[in-house]
Amino acid sequence: MSRFNTKFYDFMVHLPDEMDSIINIVSAAKEFGYSGIAALNLKKNLLDKNILDMSKLPEDFSISNAIEVSGKPSKLREEIRKYKDTGDILIARGKDEEIARAAVETERLDIILQPVKFNNVLGKIASDNSIALGFDIGSIIHTKSEDRVQELRIMRTNLMYARKYDLQMVLTCEPYSMYDFRSPREMAALGGLFGMSPKEAVDAMSTVPVDIMRKKSTGYIREGIEII
Amino acid sequence: MKTLPVLREKKRYIAFKIFSENTINRRELTEELLDSMYSIFGDKGSSEINPSLMSYDGGFGILRCQKDRTSDTRAALACINRVGRGRVSIKVLGISGTVKGAMEKFIQQSIIKDSEPEKD
Repeated sequence: MSRFNTKFYDFMVHLPDEMDSIINIVSAAKEFGYSGIAALNLKKNLLDKNILDMSKLPEDFSISNAIEVSGKPSKLREEIRKYKDTGDILIARGKDEEIARAAVETERLDIILQPVKFNNVLGKIASDNSIALGFDIGSIIHTKSEDRVQELRIMRTNLMYARKYDLQMVLTCEPYSMYDFRSPREMAALGGLFGMSPKEAVDAMSTVPVDIMRKKSTGYIREGIEII
Repeated sequence: MKTLPVLREKKRYIAFKIFSENTINRRELTEELLDSMYSIFGDKGSSEINPSLMSYDGGFGILRCQKDRTSDTRAALACINRVGRGRVSIKVLGISGTVKGAMEKFIQQSIIKDSEPEKD
């Protein structure tokens, strides 16, 4: 059986604020072979304003809420603590080493996305706090020449640390529109450009997202302890 | 002169579907595809992949490549995000050893699937 016969998820989808466009994006995600997405600021931007009508979306498609925490290290820590018990998927972008350090040091963050300067110290802390390392495939798709070389170099280094410290990995194409989706097989092929094996790529789009969603479910307390 | 059968390189045919804002013609797609390949794999890699657009009708197409470079070809197709001014996304429907196989197994199946009404 092909390793691609499983359910795939993308955890960094930007949904627009119009219902028709949302339906288009969800249809595209289904067409490209995804079983669910995590939309950034779904509750704040769409559900609270009554823009999103879940009944118009396919039943066999899951949409979770993800929150991108950002800002200075102190604000970042504060935001992670604020949202840690909401059940939302918490993602921080590792723009620089200081922010990445603050993010991985704070427990209950789920994903550190594309940290620019990842190192052995951050790798060890991320491993201790069970934080997954995110790879933004969209940055390969939407850049060219020098910028793409830079992104691939960052991803290659991050992959090295993820393997060394046994970090979970997450792949996303960070779609803003229906044209930004790529199917899981293409994502795995793009992952191959920086040395990611097909098995690692499949896990990064299926097993790891499912595991993160399990950790965010209401019954979960910590690894090995769950309310049944 | 024809290549000796034992020396003939094995090919694979990639059937794909294009989602685009604007209509794209064959020339534009070929240019963008080669540009994407040169950008990622360079001249040497592109010559090894040996890509050739076998057929394209505006929505579906078949791309030929070397048997052992299908993953690289997928990556190059996935990196195409714009053709001209319009945004584009290419979905690989499947890979076959013959043009006929790619056409019947993937493109025709996809057209049939698209034309079927959605079940409630």
